Amino acid sequence: MTRWAMVVDLRRCVGCQTCTAACKQANATPPGVQWRRVLDMEVGEYPEVQRTFVPVGCMHCDDPPCMHVCPSTATRKREDGIVTIDYDLCIGCGYCMVACPYQARFKTDRASFAYGDRPTDAEDKGFDGGRLAVATKCTFCVDRVDAGTAQGLTPGIDPEATPACVNSCIAGALHFGDIDNPASNVSHLVAGNTHFRMHEELGTGPRMYYLWG
Amino acid sequence: MTRREPTTRRRVATYCYQCVAGPDLLTVQVDDGVAVAIEPNFCAAGIHPGAGKVCVKAYGLVQKTYNPHRVLSPMKRTNPLKGRDQDPGFVPISWDEAFDLVAEKLNAIRKSGLLDASGYPKVAASFGGGGTPQSYMGTFPAYLAAWGPVDMGFGSGQGVKCYHSEHLYGELWHRAFTVSPDTPSCRYLLSFGTNTEASGGVVGVRRHADARVRGLRRVQIEPHLSVTGACSAEWLPIRPKTDAAFLYALIHVLLHENARSALDLPFLKARTASPYLVGRHGYYLRDPASRRPLVWDVKRQSAVPHDTPDADPALEGEFLADAIEIGPDGEALERGSLTGTTAFGKLLEHMRRCTPEWAAPICDVPAATIRRVANEFLAQACVGETVEIEGETLPFRPVAITLGKTVNNGWGGYECCWARTVAVALVGGLEVPGGTLGTTVRLNRPMSDRTGSVKPGADGFMTYPFNPTDKEHWSARPNIRNAYRTLVPLAANGPWSQALGPTHLAWMFLDGTPKGLPGVTFPELWFLYRSNPAISFWDTAAITDKISRFPFIVAFAYTRDESNHMADILLPECTDLEGLQLIRIGGTKYVEQFWDQEGFALRQPAVDARGSARDFTDIATELARRTGLLEPYNAAINKGAAGAPLKADGYDFSLDVTKAHGREGIWDAVCRAASAELTDGAASDGLDWYKAHGFRTRRFSTLDWYLYPALVRQGLRFELPYQERLFRIGQELGRRLHDQGMTWWDEQLAEYQALPPWRDFPALWEKAAADAGLNSADFPFWLVTARSMQYAWGANAGIQIMHEVAENVAGHGGVIVNAATAARLGIADGDLVEISTPGRATRGRAVLRQGIRPDTLLMIGQFEHWATPYAKNFNVPSMNGLVPMSLDLTDATGSGADLVRVSLARVGGRE
Repeated sequence: MTRWAMVVDLRRCVGCQTCTAACKQANATPPGVQWRRVLDMEVGEYPEVQRTFVPVGCMHCDDPPCMHVCPSTATRKREDGIVTIDYDLCIGCGYCMVACPYQARFKTDRASFAYGDRPTDAEDKGFDGGRLAVATKCTFCVDRVDAGTAQGLTPGIDPEATPACVNSCIAGALHFGDIDNPASNVSHLVAGNTHFRMHEELGTGPRMYYLWG
Repeated sequence: MTRREPTTRRRVATYCYQCVAGPDLLTVQVDDGVAVAIEPNFCAAGIHPGAGKVCVKAYGLVQKTYNPHRVLSPMKRTNPLKGRDQDPGFVPISWDEAFDLVAEKLNAIRKSGLLDASGYPKVAASFGGGGTPQSYMGTFPAYLAAWGPVDMGFGSGQGVKCYHSEHLYGELWHRAFTVSPDTPSCRYLLSFGTNTEASGGVVGVRRHADARVRGLRRVQIEPHLSVTGACSAEWLPIRPKTDAAFLYALIHVLLHENARSALDLPFLKARTASPYLVGRHGYYLRDPASRRPLVWDVKRQSAVPHDTPDADPALEGEFLADAIEIGPDGEALERGSLTGTTAFGKLLEHMRRCTPEWAAPICDVPAATIRRVANEFLAQACVGETVEIEGETLPFRPVAITLGKTVNNGWGGYECCWARTVAVALVGGLEVPGGTLGTTVRLNRPMSDRTGSVKPGADGFMTYPFNPTDKEHWSARPNIRNAYRTLVPLAANGPWSQALGPTHLAWMFLDGTPKGLPGVTFPELWFLYRSNPAISFWDTAAITDKISRFPFIVAFAYTRDESNHMADILLPECTDLEGLQLIRIGGTKYVEQFWDQEGFALRQPAVDARGSARDFTDIATELARRTGLLEPYNAAINKGAAGAPLKADGYDFSLDVTKAHGREGIWDAVCRAASAELTDGAASDGLDWYKAHGFRTRRFSTLDWYLYPALVRQGLRFELPYQERLFRIGQELGRRLHDQGMTWWDEQLAEYQALPPWRDFPALWEKAAADAGLNSADFPFWLVTARSMQYAWGANAGIQIMHEVAENVAGHGGVIVNAATAARLGIADGDLVEISTPGRATRGRAVLRQGIRPDTLLMIGQFEHWATPYAKNFNVPSMNGLVPMSLDLTDATGSGADLVRVSLARVGGRE
């Protein structure tokens, strides 16, 4: 059974936000909406300080809190693990945004554009009125994954089938693949390195694995 | 796909060279003729050291193309008054009228003479970008070559705020315009403020990420915890401008606290001037007959010329030699039986007092830490080990030291560059696998062949194209206003030299040229492109005022900005995704671009030009036609001004010099020449081929990453540690200047030391307040700046997506203050604070962090825009307005540093 997951190598991430920008562009998200973004975290006290960069986004949890609170069944989970939102069913109540412990969901009530109230030609190409006033989040670039697998390509290996953020990462910190396949890229990375998942104690079963150490 | 399915979808290959860490390759997704997304060029993954990817800045190119604030028509100024408070009154005009206005001025200049009464070119041009605008300006360099003398020395930061001392000294010592570790195999790296994870580009970031996982240990030595410090094994918060003391202490530990045999003695004896005998006047002892520097041959027990076969030169000691000591201007200072000390011996003495205990209070780094780092460096150096590279056995020394801005420029830059190079040479780690490498040459020639630029010069060293300082050839009549030829011998006299001179002097001298130089005049016409000196240089208010007094400014404008606010003509050129150009890629190039391929890449129109924007090549051709320069313009293109000579043995794609060619015709010829060059004439594919494939490369030997083999082959030495030639040049320059009554460069002359001593560099900045008649204690903080990957190279300030994503990186949007310091001063996160120097002040929001020295403040990037759309609403402070242009803070190579002493006070709350 395929189960898509992402591996984030924190030894590599430099916080450059290339993935943040690539995701925004590939998914035509409006200003302020960052389905993928990188946190800049500092711990300690001068001079014993550490600073680390942590890419975050929807964890496509095994047990998604967002799905449990959704009153309209707009949020669902596919067999391959991808958590989806049917924008047509979503009523924009925002319960899922509160329930998500990863701050992964966004809602934009009004159309907004980079430079004021009119879209540029590029924004016009990607504008989707169906995404106004509903919850949106990282989809693991499900359209790319589905179109790619239909052509026999391997998500995480073949760029056309791979999420835009993973493709864009200049440090090679992001990886995507089938975690249920022990021979996959992500399985090797997880098996071979110290790793953790975020807020595991909440029982969400997040599918982003952070390599560390 | 999220987007509605288009009728047509294309993917167009092009390059990004927005910053000096490039070029990198990308594809543009174009739906129904609209550029909608940037992606890596996956086809290039096999040849590009960054896996065919581009950084965050490139993803802003879509918004850049469709920015509603773009200047899309030629414009002319209708308000004759210029200044920050003057509305230019730009009105759109036709290209025909624009060309008429510009050509009229140019033709008038051609008629009256290209040089003014002071002997300076009447036409000036400023491009900024560390040379990267050349990859966007099409054939405009050919137009400038056809024109004649052009003053390219009014800087926007280059030559001063760049890696300046490293550029010049690096090229002298090891053909290193910039310096990089051999990251793929380095194991231990001391990085003094090199902010690779912000400025290293796609390739630098990827190489270092791979290296970190492999186990490279980097110690980041920097006043604040930069993004690079965050990705390093250790952070040492050093006091600003004390890096030379740390490096000197490191050398002391290597020389005085470890066995001599731990150093790379064979390298020092054979590949450096360590054994050269130095006389009592500070110059080499030379063979009376041949004038070659002498060494003491242990075998023969006598002094012999340095290149005597089979000699075993002594590394240490004082010896008697039948010699001549020659000083400045060829004067024989002494001859006969003279006592000489080895250069290495002099280095030993020079470093004797520079213990870690001495350096610790200077640097504010514990002595034990300095000592540990030095010993780790030595232990990791693997002295004696070798590695095979493409069948050749080379020394393997996996340790390196790199320097960042504010360390390798301004006062102390020479000392840091010298100490770094000496330190790596002591372990034989200069220009060998694993070690410290130069990347490219811009002053030495040929520029396209770093290894080929290694040629035998005097005294067993490589040649260097110094500007002459002898009486016959030195001149106080500089060719351009920043007087680099007169003042900076190391700046050479090639195409890049103008921008590597003291570019702030041109600005300063406009309002008072010091004694001995022809009065600095305003240029009659100034071309400005990809450059915004009114934001990116120092003393921005003064720069703005001076630009206001330029009589005629032709600005190639992407949007309105703070410099083109004073322009007379705005010309919209086809920006990144609209223009056509072929450039060289690969080999080795700045920052960390080490490829095993070399070749060419095409930038091609992904979309039609918006509005009336025109390709720079077409603009250049039309200007050439209207100013009667078509033939020399085409001749310059034929000769190689567009990137590749159009004619060589076996092929000739030369353009008919009498015709005005369109951009497609010109670049098709260049593409054919590029194909022929890469295949030794076998292929001649033109523009269509490059449009389809994007790039073409051939193998580049990784042996050429290292200069060591070339020096060994030619029996040459690195000109280290003793700077006898620089010492002599300094003495000669002093004599020449004083003969003209020019004493205002004396502080700078003092830097020409054979073995530079530590000076209290911080004090030089601390005294600025005292000079202004104020109390230094009132300006207790160091203000520094750091690179932002998202914004770097300026034009991205007005791009919304850059602004949005940059907000995720701490410090963008305000001034970073140590949290404890802020608490002491009653400043909360987000409070409005005022940062002041004597006579200047700026304001911004406080960003409280732990990762910064308590005595240091940080302003990331360069902001305070007041004209650039979108950016002018940021309210983010910049240090540039606070930093004066000052001769006192200019070093011998003409560089300065982004550093200033400031006060800090809360002036408001979060609201």
